[in-house]
Amino acid sequence: MGFENLFLGFQVALQPYNLFLAVVGITLGTIIGVLPGLGGANGVAILLPLTFSMPPTSAIILLTSIYWGALFGGAITSILFNIPGEPWSVATTFDGFPMAKRGEGGQALTAAFTSSFVGALFSVILITFFAPILAEIALKFGPPEFFAIQLLTFSSFIGLGGGNPLKSLVSILLGFILASVGLDIVTGALRLTFGLTDLMKGFDFIIAVIGLFGIGEILLTMEEGLSFKGTVAKMNPKVVWETWKILPRYYRTFIRGSFIGFWMGFKPGGATPASFMSYAFAKRFSKHPERFGKGELEGVVAPETAAHAAGGAYP
Amino acid sequence: MRAADLTTAAVLAAVGVLVLWDALRLGIGWSTDGPKSGFFPFWLAVVLLACCLGITAQALRRAGGVPFVARQAIGPVLKVLWPATAAVLLMQFVGLYVASTLYMGFYMRWIGRHSWPAVVGMSVGFSVVTFLLFEKWFLVPMPKGPVETWFGY
Repeated sequence: MGFENLFLGFQVALQPYNLFLAVVGITLGTIIGVLPGLGGANGVAILLPLTFSMPPTSAIILLTSIYWGALFGGAITSILFNIPGEPWSVATTFDGFPMAKRGEGGQALTAAFTSSFVGALFSVILITFFAPILAEIALKFGPPEFFAIQLLTFSSFIGLGGGNPLKSLVSILLGFILASVGLDIVTGALRLTFGLTDLMKGFDFIIAVIGLFGIGEILLTMEEGLSFKGTVAKMNPKVVWETWKILPRYYRTFIRGSFIGFWMGFKPGGATPASFMSYAFAKRFSKHPERFGKGELEGVVAPETAAHAAGGAYP
Repeated sequence: MRAADLTTAAVLAAVGVLVLWDALRLGIGWSTDGPKSGFFPFWLAVVLLACCLGITAQALRRAGGVPFVARQAIGPVLKVLWPATAAVLLMQFVGLYVASTLYMGFYMRWIGRHSWPAVVGMSVGFSVVTFLLFEKWFLVPMPKGPVETWFGY
């Protein structure tokens, strides 16, 4: 039953027209993902009119491809500019950006898109077989379970942060405070707006991230006395091939990331905790935990696999 | 580092007090339908204040030592920071596009020392392209000022 459906699905998806649409979608999506302020959801919304003249299956393929492309585009900015486009690419910056700084941006990007592919494929296959059972489990998830997951995620931030745990905690609290500005979605009261209408909508994630990561990075570069050079990634088939030869070594990270992503992903809001947890697990189980955060390939593989496994599992 | 830690802790503690004040206005207890709006911000602010006290104590116990930013490094950092701040302030009055034209032009001329034609071409061209991109094609409204009104937007 499950196998037949999966086979039928691949058969439809691999028709030349649909495959062509997937390529177009991924290309458009990547461009959208790289543009600051435009994420997967906006991209899908903007390009929705394109699909009106298509058969429904092809339209879904195009939109999904745009969405995945945008996710990958987010990984590009995380790695090359240290500006995560989505909450779940934050963990990718930890090791992706140091790698790009060392001139290994090509490897980091290859690892990112390969892990995205592995994670997504894994969870799509699993969800085909287990969707009915998982739907039942997901429905049983209530506020206590969600709270437990979030608590675990934020605790792992403090564990990961390195340096001063008090400062990590302060950053988390500040983030929560910024997030609680605006309309309280439960009671409808205005929180922390102090009568300013501009604050009613609260702080947008993208804006906060560009301010904190982007401007911080520019100022740091100036302090270190360098002119801002961005980082150049040399992408050619050789780099991709070389990286693919190394990647199988991290098969444990792939499997772990896929399972964490899948497990966290079939309930809403799972991709971000999944990426952080996968990163923390990879660091914990690694033989060289001290290399994490300084540009370790595994540190790109772990969060990307989990985030995309979560993205694929969330129906 | 010590002075920087103390200053940051003080600023964040001030933020904490601000949040605390607004949370008290909203009510921090429980009403019939669950926690009131100020409940979550209140406890965030309380823990934030406690952490700031902790960081202050840590910083005080430590000797002065390494400065947070070297004297010769602060110049370039400020050179980036103040034009950006000025551009953001300017944006409130003249809109995003005019402010970014001025910012880019100023920066290219002052730091980059490019020739005037390059400065004008690049800054005006960039703003026109972003204007078309956001206002025309993506239909994302950005802050606009008198100049855009004059052109009929």
